[in-house]
Amino acid sequence: MQVKTGPFLRDNVTIKRVMIDVLIALIPTMIAGVLLYGRHALVVLFLSTLSAVLTEAILTRAPFTIKGIFGDGSAAVTGALLGLILPHTTPFWVPIFGAFFAIALVKLAFGGLGYNIFNPALAARALLLLAYTSVMIYRTDAVTGATPLWSSNTVSWPLILGNVDGVIGETSVVAILLGAAYLFYKGHINWRIPVSCLGSAFVLAMIWGLDPWHTIAAGGLMFAAFFMATDMVTSPVTPVGELIFGAGCGLLTFMIRQYTPFPEGVTFAVLIMNALTPAIDSLTIPAVFGVGASYKTRVQGFVVTTVAVLAVFGVLVAIEYQEPEVQPVITHRHYLPIHDLLGDPDFDIVDVGETRYYVVRDEENNPLQAALIAERNGFNGPVYFLVILQPDHTIKSVQVLEHRESPGFGELITRASFLEQFVGLDKDSPFTVGSDVQTVSGATISSTAVITGVARALDDFDAAFFKVDELVQYTDGTYVGQTNSFGGPMEVEVVVAGGKITSVEVVKHSDTPGFSDGAITGVPDRIVAANSPKVDAVSGATLSSEAIMRAVENALESASSGSNDEVFEGVTAPARSSWKITVGDGTYQGQARGFGGDLILDVTVSGGKITDIVVVKDSETPFIAGAAFKELLPALIEAQGPVDAVSGATVTSGAIHDAVRDALDIKEGQ
Amino acid sequence: MNSLIQRTFPRGGNTSVPHRKDATEGKAIRNLPAPSIVVIPMVQHIGAPCEAAVSVGDRVKIGQPLGESKAFVCAPVHASVSGEVIAVEPRPLMSGAKAVSIVIRNDGKDEMVDFEPGDFRKMSPDAIRQKVKDAGIVGMGGAGFPAHIKLNPPKPVDTILINAAECEPYLTCDHRLMVERAPDMVEGLLAMMKATGASRGIIGIEANKPDAIAQVEDAIKDHQQLSVAVLTVKYPQGAEKQLIKAIVDKEVPSGCLPADVGCVVNNVHTAIAVYEAVTLGKPCYERVVTVSGGATVDPRNVLVRIGTPVQNVLDYCGGLLGEPAVLIGGGPMTGPPILDLYGPVVKTLSGISALTREEAGFDENRPCIRCARCVNACPMGLTPNFLGEYSNHEMYDKAKKLRALDCIECGLCSYVCPSKRALVTWIKKGKAGIAARRAMESERGVSVCK
Repeated sequence: MQVKTGPFLRDNVTIKRVMIDVLIALIPTMIAGVLLYGRHALVVLFLSTLSAVLTEAILTRAPFTIKGIFGDGSAAVTGALLGLILPHTTPFWVPIFGAFFAIALVKLAFGGLGYNIFNPALAARALLLLAYTSVMIYRTDAVTGATPLWSSNTVSWPLILGNVDGVIGETSVVAILLGAAYLFYKGHINWRIPVSCLGSAFVLAMIWGLDPWHTIAAGGLMFAAFFMATDMVTSPVTPVGELIFGAGCGLLTFMIRQYTPFPEGVTFAVLIMNALTPAIDSLTIPAVFGVGASYKTRVQGFVVTTVAVLAVFGVLVAIEYQEPEVQPVITHRHYLPIHDLLGDPDFDIVDVGETRYYVVRDEENNPLQAALIAERNGFNGPVYFLVILQPDHTIKSVQVLEHRESPGFGELITRASFLEQFVGLDKDSPFTVGSDVQTVSGATISSTAVITGVARALDDFDAAFFKVDELVQYTDGTYVGQTNSFGGPMEVEVVVAGGKITSVEVVKHSDTPGFSDGAITGVPDRIVAANSPKVDAVSGATLSSEAIMRAVENALESASSGSNDEVFEGVTAPARSSWKITVGDGTYQGQARGFGGDLILDVTVSGGKITDIVVVKDSETPFIAGAAFKELLPALIEAQGPVDAVSGATVTSGAIHDAVRDALDIKEGQ
Repeated sequence: MNSLIQRTFPRGGNTSVPHRKDATEGKAIRNLPAPSIVVIPMVQHIGAPCEAAVSVGDRVKIGQPLGESKAFVCAPVHASVSGEVIAVEPRPLMSGAKAVSIVIRNDGKDEMVDFEPGDFRKMSPDAIRQKVKDAGIVGMGGAGFPAHIKLNPPKPVDTILINAAECEPYLTCDHRLMVERAPDMVEGLLAMMKATGASRGIIGIEANKPDAIAQVEDAIKDHQQLSVAVLTVKYPQGAEKQLIKAIVDKEVPSGCLPADVGCVVNNVHTAIAVYEAVTLGKPCYERVVTVSGGATVDPRNVLVRIGTPVQNVLDYCGGLLGEPAVLIGGGPMTGPPILDLYGPVVKTLSGISALTREEAGFDENRPCIRCARCVNACPMGLTPNFLGEYSNHEMYDKAKKLRALDCIECGLCSYVCPSKRALVTWIKKGKAGIAARRAMESERGVSVCK
């Protein structure tokens, strides 16, 4: 027998059992995440766990067996937790690198299990958030409402059961609580940290007038309250310390969410409290049995606590009152300091159609500076960019917010040398690609997208704010207007009462049923609402929409006392007519100079009408021109005349028209 | 006190410490035949060692005083067999350390000295105490504090508590004594109350001993001033301060004695020894020991003569099943390992536990994961994780500041630790270090307990 020291009984809990219990408790959340987000989430979870386990096994020179590599299970827990706080859309290198960082630097470099100050999974997430923001914020297509923190203010069943955007682990409250219940049952966590964490956030939300249930259910706070803040190594050991720690986590989460642009505050809140844990421990050593705190100490403690609570509350209130409420604008993975960009914190948010404008107005309520976000299809997908306008409505700056263009090529549209060209231009400036504005070499399509997008954006801005109906006063009466739509003549009846358009009705048209219906029903309403014939066209029925607008315009020519001769952007001629075909039936070849080279078309005429157009040769950009050909050729046949260019393929569209005219020997303007 | 309500101490403690008493709790106490040689150490108590009163070659009888001391804190020792003194010399104790002992060869005659019976109801408190002292009674729960001094508290006490919790796993000697000799215990309690002037006596029994509770309640039914307090089975319910808190709801201040809250606490066996001393005139020369553990062939409770070598006790119980993982003098939570099988049974030994590898747990000293199980378990409200660390690294000032001296060494912190850290061992080291420092510095002690 060896000389050993007592006690000679041990409870059957070991580090490994604790870790395995935590992994078991995470299973419901993992299942929920994989069910919601699919295979990708499973891969992320798997990779982060594997990377963590292998990193620790290799760096600690563990024996090369299954048991040895798994070790005491703490690396697996870190990996699983990290996977659960990543969005499922991250590229695969993110969980691998993140887990490596968490284990190697945040845990092992500090001394290994029990010695780390910071929660390794959270620290890794913080690093990724700051260094690789783009891959970390969950992608969504809405300009506003990126995560539920910004959208609904109520707790909905999807939030509880899990159907909402966010990181893999944070979305299903039910799954989180199931796992937490298991940990409680096993005695590995106690009520103090979760209750104080969620409780403080709850109370603060109530005081601030926000929905407290939504506050605690959204944004990863609940997951952190049960699984992150409760991490034993990085949280205090004393009971009172645990309460302070939890309350601090809740408080800081709330403050970070309220006053900083980060979409969620839990990560940094917990990390900050981790740093304070040793101090909290030494300040909250419990009173020993038989050592009562004296009355003086008790009074002191009470006074200090009350003062601290009031001070914190007071600071929060002071901040709230000092700073004007700054609406943090987060869009397309960028935080836009709109008030800085516009130079004025007092701006309006105006939605016109699908574009959101941030406008500073002058005393007469006219827009001065403005910021707008527009999109245009680039090579790989939509390009979102921000345009800032000076008070004289020239461009102050253009900035690309989000794109999916190719690295090394289209990506270069974000370069200053390209974007600087826009400075000083306004809606009347020529925007011809290649001459007025240079493209980035090797990134023609991406550049063109931005160029045409900016031009269009300027026009839209003009249309949105300067075609104000207050300028135009209509004389009361009923008016009839006519125009030629692409199917034939169109007639509208317009009623003006009280100086405003009160009704518009299409009484006669020959446009294609089904296609034009949207315009027939939608455009008149818009015209009445805007009290102006210039409104947005109904998508998919552009020609019909524009015809209605022209007809109304014609009707109102005699009704308006204001000038009515603004040129309608996008329409190249006031009345659209079809081409006069002078050649006989047959197939004719035409040629024109396209974007990349010669464009040759075969045009078939039958019965005096164009019946078919076939592309013989083209050197256009494949992706763009494909769309142009697909849309334009049938439209040309339908219209038997010139049609709108396809957005993003202006030159190609023009070339197609030229080639057809060349084939049919139609002069320009006919 | 209503015996239907279970009482317990509010802070710390652990209810999942296994009891493991089923092997012996139903077995009646058996007399272990006296061995051929007894080794009786001169110090079996807290205090000054006795000085030998006999010499080699003397013939002694059972109950004859063998050593006493003029020191204040001391208790005499008595012969447990009749025969010839064959040696007065240092002999190894169970722990392996040596202590001056009187070795007697048993002549098998079991001759006794004359006992003087008495009636405590007719005796003065001083007389009672004198008899207790003469009988060499010390705290038989394991502390070994001379009983007669405890029965002379510096402050007036109103309650005598009998510590019948026996929370230590495996041990059932107190349990069996209550089942078999409850009236004797009651007599002893009453004698102690007389000696101290206490007005009430409460026997605190853990709820896992229903037969004992029934027996004791029956034994006290005619005594209005006595009652049974049923205690929740929670380790360490039998720790003195925790017992007091559970039963009379008072916290003994740090550094003070139970007498400072008006209580005196005594063990069941001690109470019976007091009865035997006062009423029968019989000195303390034998005690009940629980022999248990998975490595014992025939676990049972045995009445053993003081001085019997441990080996004899084990042999009587059928010996051991191979080499046990650990052999403990007492229970596994607080008992020290037995390093010399020929060490003698002393007055403070309540059990011999032979644990198998599956039953026992040992230190592994993995890193502390700050799980706070020890903090939550500590009945004294300490932070054993920090205390252990500081003590181990000899940062005795910090250990003292964290109140290492308040540790009752119950062993619960090590028990619950998932990293199997040697917390109690380190804290003991810290306590020793602090005491040594104190001894080095000549401090003027200011007694907080007036």
